[in-house]
Amino acid sequence: MFAAVPSATLLGVQGHSVTVEVHVSTGLPGLMMVGLPDSVCREARDRVRAAIVSSGYLWPNKRVTVNLAPANQRKDGSGLDLAIAIGLLVADEQLPATDVESFGFLAELGLDGSLRGVPGIVPLVAALVHLRPVVARASHREAVIVSTERVFAAGSLREVVEALRGDSPWPPQPTDAFVDDDVPAPDLADIRGQGLARQALEVAAAGGHHALFVGAPGSGKTMLAQRMVGLLPPLTADVALTATMIHSAAGVALPRGGMVTRPPYRAPHHTISLIALVGGGTMSLRPGEISLSHGGCLFMDELGEFPQHVLDGLRQPLEDGAVRVARARASATLPAKFLLLAATNPCPCGGGPPGACRCDDGARARYLRRLSEPLLDRFDLRVPVARPDIDDLLSGEPGEPSAVVARRVEAARIVALNRNGCLNSEIPSSKLDDFAPLDVGGRRMLRNELERYRLTGRGYHRIRRVARTLADLDPLAGDVIDEGHVAMALQFRVQISVEVGGRAA
Amino acid sequence: MSELPEEAFAAVIAGFDRMTLDRLNVLLDGTEPSSALAMILGDRPPTGLIARLFDTPGLVAAWRESAVNRTPERVWDECRRLDMSVLVRGRPGYPHLLAGDPAPAPVLFVRGSFDRLAGRRVGIIGTRNATGSGRNLAASLGRDLAEEGVHVISGLARGIDGCAHRGALSVVDGAAPVAVVASGLDVVYPREHSDVWNLVAERGVLVSEAAPGTPPEPYRFPLRNRIIAALSEILVVVESRETGGSLLTVREAEIRGVQVMAVPGAVGNRAARGTNDLLRDGCAVVTGVDDVVSALQMDSRRSGAVAYDSRPRPKFEDEQVLAMCCEPRTLDQLTILTSRSLVECAMTLARLEDNGWVKQSNGWFEADSSDTIVL
Repeated sequence: MFAAVPSATLLGVQGHSVTVEVHVSTGLPGLMMVGLPDSVCREARDRVRAAIVSSGYLWPNKRVTVNLAPANQRKDGSGLDLAIAIGLLVADEQLPATDVESFGFLAELGLDGSLRGVPGIVPLVAALVHLRPVVARASHREAVIVSTERVFAAGSLREVVEALRGDSPWPPQPTDAFVDDDVPAPDLADIRGQGLARQALEVAAAGGHHALFVGAPGSGKTMLAQRMVGLLPPLTADVALTATMIHSAAGVALPRGGMVTRPPYRAPHHTISLIALVGGGTMSLRPGEISLSHGGCLFMDELGEFPQHVLDGLRQPLEDGAVRVARARASATLPAKFLLLAATNPCPCGGGPPGACRCDDGARARYLRRLSEPLLDRFDLRVPVARPDIDDLLSGEPGEPSAVVARRVEAARIVALNRNGCLNSEIPSSKLDDFAPLDVGGRRMLRNELERYRLTGRGYHRIRRVARTLADLDPLAGDVIDEGHVAMALQFRVQISVEVGGRAA
Repeated sequence: MSELPEEAFAAVIAGFDRMTLDRLNVLLDGTEPSSALAMILGDRPPTGLIARLFDTPGLVAAWRESAVNRTPERVWDECRRLDMSVLVRGRPGYPHLLAGDPAPAPVLFVRGSFDRLAGRRVGIIGTRNATGSGRNLAASLGRDLAEEGVHVISGLARGIDGCAHRGALSVVDGAAPVAVVASGLDVVYPREHSDVWNLVAERGVLVSEAAPGTPPEPYRFPLRNRIIAALSEILVVVESRETGGSLLTVREAEIRGVQVMAVPGAVGNRAARGTNDLLRDGCAVVTGVDDVVSALQMDSRRSGAVAYDSRPRPKFEDEQVLAMCCEPRTLDQLTILTSRSLVECAMTLARLEDNGWVKQSNGWFEADSSDTIVL
C-alpha cells in the first residue's frame, strides 16, 4: 500500500536527495502529486502511467498519492519519473519492497517504457550517498564519475523491474573505454608576430589577470583568445569535479573521458541574456556561462556590443569567484571563478593607426561609453593588438608553440602560489609591499606615472600585480621587481578613450 | 518696431525654417530686410523674384509659422544678449573681403569684430581625425603665423582646425584669429572647444551664417568652408583624406583664386592621402612657417627668439627608437625594426614618453616634434 523510493533533484549545481513516497488506497481512482513539483515534474503522472501500461504492468484503479519529500522544497525536471514508477509498482504490490531502498533511481520515462537520460547526473548521483544509482544507459558514463557504489544502467522500465524482482540479471553495463579524446586546443604556434599580445596571454595565464584586447578587426584578437586555454595548466582534482558538476547540471555534453579536466573555454555571443550569462534560468537555477567557464576562460568578443546590464552583472562574480542566484523560492551559490578575456574594436569602424579612423565623433563616443570605467578597471591587462606585419604573416616561421609557453606558465604559477598562497592577480593590496617589492628604478617609473595623473591608485596596484607576474616569468629576475617589468606592465594599460579634440599634442 | 535696425529683420529672416542661401539672397537682394519680412507676413505684396519664390508650395506658410516665435524684437534682444552683431550685405559694417565674393553671405552673425583684421590672412584646415604629427604641425603653424602678425583662419572643428587655433591663441599678443563656424554662435560644436570658441570671440572674430540656436547640420559645413576660402589669402591644408570637407574648401579656394598649399605626409598615412594628392597635382609644399611667410611675400627672416627645446635630449641608445617613431608605430613593429626585445623597447618608450618625445594613443607611438602648447 505504501512505498518509499530514493531519488534526487537538482538545485543550482547541487543534487538534493528526495524520497518519493507513494501511497495506494481505495477511493476515487486518480493520481495526486504533492511536494512542490514543477510543471515538468507534474507531467510525470502521464508519462508514468503510459510507461507502466506499455511495459505490461497494471495501472492500479485506486487512489494514488505521490509525495516528494522533503515537501517544502521545489522539485524540478523529469529525473524523478523512474522513482515514481517503481514506487507505484511497489505500493501496488506488483514488485516486492525488499531491496528497493538500497537503490537511487534517476531517469526519465518514455511513453513506451524506455529510460532517458536527464541533465545533472553527476551532482544527482553525488547526492545519493551509499545508494546504488539506477540510470538510463545514456547517463551511465556521467554516473560512474562520482558514484562510490556500483552503477546500474538499463534501457527500459521492464529491464529495471525484472532485475529488481530477480527474474533476470541486470543488463550488461556499457563499457565505455576511458579514452582521452582531447581535441588539441589551438596552438600558439599558429600566430605570427604579435609579440606584445603573446606576452599578454602568457602573463594572463600565469597570474590569472583578466585581459582586454583592443584592436582593429582582423588583427587576431579572437585567435589569441582561443589559444588561452592551451596555456592554462590542467584543472586540479577538486576544480575538475566542480567543473564536471557544473557542466552536467547545465546539460552540457561532458568530454568523452568523463571528467572535465582541461580548462573550459566559453565564448558566448553578445546577444546573450543576463540570466544565460550568470545563471538561474529554470526552476533548478541552471548555471550560466560564467559558471560553465569555472576554472577556465570566458571570452567576450565585441565587449562593447553586450548590453550594459549584462556587463554590469559580471562585476560581482568577477570579485567573488562565485555568483549567488536568488529567486523567490530558492537560491543557490554557483561557482564562477574564471579568467575573463574580452576583445573590442577601438571604435565602430575598427580604427587602425592614428588618422585612419573614419567614424564620426558621436558614434565613437557612443561606442566607448558602453565600456564603463568600473568594467575596464577589472582588466589588469588592456592590450593593444595591431594587424600583424605582412612579412611576419608570409614568412613561414611559426611562433613559439603553446606547450613551451605553458611550461613557463606552470612554473611561474608555482612560484607565485608558494610565495603568495594565491595567484598574483589576487594579491591583496596590503600585501603588495611584501610580495611585490619594487627596486629603485621601478619605483621611480611608477612615481612618474602617478605624478602625471596617468595612473590611479587602483591602477597602481594593478600594475604592480602584473609586474609581479612578469618578474615571475622572467628567469633572470630576482625577488624584486625592476624597471623593465614595470615598463612592460605599463604597456598593458592602453588608454581607450575618445580623443580629446584639438589638444595640440 | 520702427526703432529696430534693419539688421534685426535680417536676423529674423535668416533664422527661418527652410531658409536657404539662394532664397535669402533673393529676399535681401535689393530689398530692405524689413520690407522682405513684411512681404513674407503678407503685409505687403511681393515683388519680382520674391513673388516667384513665394510660389514654392508651403514655403510661405512655413516661414510665417516660424515668424510667430521669431519677432524682430525677440531676435534682436537675443543677439544683444549674446553680444553678437549682425552684418547684412550692402549695409555698413559688412566686411569688404566678402562683399565681392561669387557666393556672398547675405547675413553674417559675428562675435568679436572684423575691425581687428589688419594683417595678412592664412587659412589652416585639415581632417578631424589627424595624426599626432599633423596636430603638432597645425599648432606650431598657428603659433608661428600669429607671432608673425598673420591672422589664422579656420573652422574650429576637431583635429587640425582646433589645433591651429590653439596654436594661434597661445601667442599672447599675436594676430587676431578668425573662426568660421557652421552652427549658431551660441551652439558650441564640438563642445570640447568651448574654451577656444570664447577666446576667439574675445581676441579675434567668430563668424557664422547661421542664426543663434541653429544646430550644426551637416549641409552647413561646406557652406562654412566657402567663407574660410573667401577670407584667406593662402589656404594651407595640413592633413586631409582623399575625400572630405578640407578638399571642398580647396575647391572653393580655387574658384576664388586663393593659393592652396599643402603639408606632405608619410605615404602610408591615410590622413595625408588628400594632401599628398594635392602635392602631386602641383600644389606648393609647406614644411614650416617659413614656406607660408615667403608665399605671402613677407620678410621671412625671423626676428623671434631662437627656438629652444626644453626637453632633455634622449639617450644615445633611445635615438634609434625615436627616429623610427616618425610615423605611428606599434611596440611590435619597433621591436622588429630595432631588433631589440620587448622589454628594452618598453623601457626606452617609457623614458621617451616621460620626457615628452613620444606620444602614445591606442597602442600607437608617434614622435612629438614640438613642445606642448598649453593654453
